[in-house]
Amino acid sequence: MEAQLFHIFRNTPLGRETLFQSTYFCSKTGAAINIYVPEFTKFLMYFENDVIQINLDESYLTAPGSALEHATEVVMQKNIKPKFIKPKHFTASTLPDIPTGFDFMCCPRSISDLSSKIGIGYIGPRVRRIVKSARFPVLITSPVYKEWSSITVFFGGSANAVNALKLGFRIKRATKMPLYIFTQAEKGHKKTCKDVIKHENLEKEMEQLADRWQIFEKGKFEENLYKVPHDSLVVLGAYGHGFIKDIVFGSKMEKIQSTVSNNLLIVGPNYTATV
Amino acid sequence: MHSLKSWRYPAKWILFRTDDRLLLIFIAVIVGICSSLAAILLNRSLIAILSWLHPFRQIWWAFVLPGIGAAMSSLFLEKIVNEGAGHGVPEVVYSVSRYGGLMRFRSSFSRLISSCLTIGSGGSAGPEAPVVMSGAAIGSNIAKFFSLNDRQRVALVGCGAAAAISSIFNAPIAGMIFSMEVILGEWSSAYLIPIAIASVAGTEVSRILQGNQIVFSHRHFDIDLMNIVVCLGLAIITAAASILLTRMIKYMNGKYGKAPVPLWMRAALGGCTVGLIGLFFPVVLGEGYNSIHMMIEGVFAQGFIIVVLAAFLKILATSLTLGSGGSGGIFAPCLVIGSFTGLAYHRGLVLLWPSVSWVNEGCFALLGMAGLISGMLQAPMTAIFLIVEITGGYEVILPLIIVSTISTTFCRYIESASFYLKDLTEKGHLLRPRTDARVLTELNVRELLETDCIGVKQNMLLRDFINIVKKSHRNYFPVEDEKTGHFLGMIYLDDIRPYLFNPGMYDAVLLGQIMDINVQTVALDDDLTEILDIMDINHLYSMPVVADNKFAGMISKATLLNQYRKELMVQAND
Repeated sequence: MEAQLFHIFRNTPLGRETLFQSTYFCSKTGAAINIYVPEFTKFLMYFENDVIQINLDESYLTAPGSALEHATEVVMQKNIKPKFIKPKHFTASTLPDIPTGFDFMCCPRSISDLSSKIGIGYIGPRVRRIVKSARFPVLITSPVYKEWSSITVFFGGSANAVNALKLGFRIKRATKMPLYIFTQAEKGHKKTCKDVIKHENLEKEMEQLADRWQIFEKGKFEENLYKVPHDSLVVLGAYGHGFIKDIVFGSKMEKIQSTVSNNLLIVGPNYTATV
Repeated sequence: MHSLKSWRYPAKWILFRTDDRLLLIFIAVIVGICSSLAAILLNRSLIAILSWLHPFRQIWWAFVLPGIGAAMSSLFLEKIVNEGAGHGVPEVVYSVSRYGGLMRFRSSFSRLISSCLTIGSGGSAGPEAPVVMSGAAIGSNIAKFFSLNDRQRVALVGCGAAAAISSIFNAPIAGMIFSMEVILGEWSSAYLIPIAIASVAGTEVSRILQGNQIVFSHRHFDIDLMNIVVCLGLAIITAAASILLTRMIKYMNGKYGKAPVPLWMRAALGGCTVGLIGLFFPVVLGEGYNSIHMMIEGVFAQGFIIVVLAAFLKILATSLTLGSGGSGGIFAPCLVIGSFTGLAYHRGLVLLWPSVSWVNEGCFALLGMAGLISGMLQAPMTAIFLIVEITGGYEVILPLIIVSTISTTFCRYIESASFYLKDLTEKGHLLRPRTDARVLTELNVRELLETDCIGVKQNMLLRDFINIVKKSHRNYFPVEDEKTGHFLGMIYLDDIRPYLFNPGMYDAVLLGQIMDINVQTVALDDDLTEILDIMDINHLYSMPVVADNKFAGMISKATLLNQYRKELMVQAND
């Protein structure tokens, strides 16, 4: 069965760009696209141990009459047949429950704030919660349509980074694109990362599938991000460290997404990856 | 850092590792205390707002106060916390039924604030249901914080609801029974123990902070057989009042729902109308516990006609408040309407048979309350124990049982479900444990998929197909398009038997010519209830599952029954 990507459609030029990104992702990975055209500005997503209410801005309800037609038009350009999701269950009469059993979900940088905030530099709190609770990785798109021709995995040795690496292998297999691994190695970290690869029995995959493993032992993380190809799909793990550490030092995810304009595929702690 | 993290996973603590019942009891105490504090907070806030607004009640323009309160409540829910109006109990039952008790954090405070605004300003509603929702959401979020599983989370949702009712009424048994009877819909020891503990914790916190007071003062009633017999009539009248209240709220909801004005304006309009009624009949305003006190004490002086009118106007005021979008529950209005109904019934009896020595009218007010609660909630046990506990006397237990059970029975004849569960039942969202709907909801098409069918192509010759039939233990074969792999139809051995025994056809017939193209198919995300309905209507035992135009497998009644039994056993063991 095909992997399924979930996309919330916004019938605006910005929404079209995001849908192009999802469609491109699906065309490369062979996933099917499930589009939700919202009828209300709120909906709920019930995960295993959390329920998240998404509050969309009014722009998501723009021109509902032409939304299906516009979405179909965009998706059909890549010869993909769109599947539209109609909510079956409602927690309250204007609060539909959207299923969560997908393999990927596409989110703009923030889905709960005004369009003006969508851009580099801010991942909305709702998107962060989805990443934290979902079993699927979240595709956070760049502000305008951007094709990618390689995959870059940020690997720092944490459990979520291992999941990101496994997802990178999976995408590499599906797309046959070059796969680069990017590691910012601090003191003794290089050995730790290699040990993790060994411990997770990923040596064979690293040899066969990784085209380059760049380990940066010098320079600041933000400066080294310049080395990430501009046309690469960036895969990274989120919530690898503790809450307090994230608050004090800031999270890697936030640093990466605020520095690079690439499409990001973020793997949360509940994602169960298979190589 | 590790030790800091591990405290969020109490299931891993040595104390709880062997038996998770201890864990539930431990967390039930926390939930009970928190829910009780929420209930007390609402109670105190209501008292503060009511006393602050009291001097204004005498002024002619005071009728706008309930309108302002309802509008603020609606704006708060719609614009600030992004929630819908209503009392919230159906949302609690829905989350228990379908999502293992998962509730949003905001639900733990949203209805407290909105109902405080509605009721404090004079809207005719009760604080109990919002407190139940708040307590349930507190339980759910504490379970989420400690990463507990679905079963444990449901238990804690029940604990929160039970503690809230226990605390607000100082009635631990009623809280427990309400939670089991209305919220969870099942009586199992796995839930009973933590819920009982939470009720005790909630009641004790309430007693420490507010004193061990009985909500309505206890009076001694001498009830003889004659009084018990006439209770049958009261049961029928309270059942009628329950049905009238249910339908009036629904009617007002529909009427206000169609009004082409913003939600807050609808709520304001409803609130102002209640305020206008309140100018002439102040007893309809707010929760109305003062009137109940007077009726139980037997000092409510107004005559029969006024009491009947007050009952009708309270029904109208409650319908206007809740139907227009105000926030609050029906528990307190039920008690008020019930006591009016009981009082009116008593006065009617006295008018008809003045020579009979009837029990004090306060007793009938109590019985009326039980009748209304039983009718609206269709939960007779909750009504019986609530009245016994809030009045502190067992003398009325026999007529209480009669009124509660008969009222529930009559209401069930006319309304298929209680006020709380009516919408859920109509939409098919009420999934009580071990019911057919619940078991089917727990299963999905993916886990029932039979994937050992051999696919064939439409251009295959019958001769080649016979070789495939020899290898297969199935008597149906999906036909797929050679180029696209799309599902085209099915071949059932029973349908093509004449061709199989005619060797002359072996090289003349292609499978595309004999396949059945009018096959009923199902999708991977279809509901099993709907699939079973299709199977029953069409007398089918199995159906092909098609995903993205491709054959994914078969779903059959045999596999379904097998999984159904397993799921039922799991639910029975919970």
